[in-house]
Amino acid sequence: MLKFLTNYIFGVLANLGEVINFILEVLGNVLRGKIRLAEILKQIYEQGLQSVGIVILVSLASGIVLALQGVVVLSRFGAKEYISSLVALSLVRELSPVFTALVFSGKAGARITAELGSMSVNDQVLATRTLGVNPIEYLVVPRMIGCFLVLPILTVISEVAGIFGGYLIGVYEANISGVFYINQTFKAIRFVDFYSGFSKVFFFSIIISWVCCFQGFKTKGGSLGVGKYTTQAVALSYIWVLVANAILTKIILSIWG
Amino acid sequence: MIEVKSVSKSFNGQVVLDNVSFNIKDGEIFIILGESGAGKSVLLKHLVGLIAPDKGKLFINGIDVGSLSERKLLDLRKTIGYLFQEAALYDFMNVYENLAFPLKEHTRLSKKQISEKIKSILQLVDLEGVENKFPSELSGGMKKRVGLARAIILDSRVLFCDEPTSGLDPIRSRDISDLIRDISRKLNCTTVITSHDIENSMRIADRVMIIKDGKIIALGKPKELEASTNSFVKEFVL
Repeated sequence: MLKFLTNYIFGVLANLGEVINFILEVLGNVLRGKIRLAEILKQIYEQGLQSVGIVILVSLASGIVLALQGVVVLSRFGAKEYISSLVALSLVRELSPVFTALVFSGKAGARITAELGSMSVNDQVLATRTLGVNPIEYLVVPRMIGCFLVLPILTVISEVAGIFGGYLIGVYEANISGVFYINQTFKAIRFVDFYSGFSKVFFFSIIISWVCCFQGFKTKGGSLGVGKYTTQAVALSYIWVLVANAILTKIILSIWG
Repeated sequence: MIEVKSVSKSFNGQVVLDNVSFNIKDGEIFIILGESGAGKSVLLKHLVGLIAPDKGKLFINGIDVGSLSERKLLDLRKTIGYLFQEAALYDFMNVYENLAFPLKEHTRLSKKQISEKIKSILQLVDLEGVENKFPSELSGGMKKRVGLARAIILDSRVLFCDEPTSGLDPIRSRDISDLIRDISRKLNCTTVITSHDIENSMRIADRVMIIKDGKIIALGKPKELEASTNSFVKEFVL
């Protein structure tokens, strides 16, 4: 039992060391200016294009559901005019950053792990080293920077799509004037609301790209391994995004309220 | 000159290389033979610093591979060609892009010069007109030829080939073996090949080393090994 526990603890510590070493190597490359612009643009295009459709769909649906529920609840208090504020604030402060990060993990994050994992099991990562090229610089840094730049853009798109979903219900279901709805939305969102949600996205992007790239690099065991590590990467991204969200929300609320 | 001095390596307590020592002369075709799991590929990976030995040292042209930092290792690898068992071509690049990659990374050649170099290297490996094909559209033998072309495109003087004939039919195996021998002679490369293809190995090698359970069982010219009295060597070679 003691031996099992000792082995387990050493295993966890060794894994933690690998994870930290991995991100330090990425940072080292970034700080030394080992940044490949063409590869980053390719990643922005691929990751963004792959996720934008589903992000819009999820956000639109969330905006619609929020507004539908809002109409029912707020009408009880004779305050259905505030639907726009409810939808906008919920999306901008919380829902859009988190939903976008989760959707992005499932689409672009899974793709990153599957790509790198497939390269690992087919010796392409090793081949990169034997060709005298650092695979962290060539394969990981562009994916991480791409993710860091794409996720905030997707979050803004998500916020706009969600607010549009709420607008559709507000105008066609609750019979609120369109101009009034838009005015109320802009009135409701203060700058602090926007950046308190938006600032989380940068942390989420680091978590997702770090987890997914690391899992991809660690992949072994052929095609079965690619499936296993990809699923693991998505699950771990979800967990860490949700844990980070709870911590960041507490910190942000204690700073900006 | 490649020198391997008393190299040992274990994975999870299992000995893969056990106090292995040998030298490879410049321009020599040196083949490491052995059964699957004998430690051949591990030995090759040690030579390019992809795996560090538990004990012992490896030198390539006088450079102690184990003493190099990762950055210096990357520089050393630019001078070494490495052909992987399954060629390890980038599957998101076509043949032209796969071959252009090391040239773009390590040379200042213009687009025209890169294009000419790729044309000539594809001629050298008897594979013309496949520039726009992706690895998934190539046969096993064609992939190995492209892998070989990529391994020598930087005019490397040291060439490592990991099981270059595995998965190929006897005719393709013979073709690839002959091609490696011809290219090695033409470019005067020091070539190290791991294989379990005895017939082709005995035909093209200058010297052959047989390893079993991480230990050297025999080392010498093909004819010397054919005359060996060691029962394992006799069983393996004949």
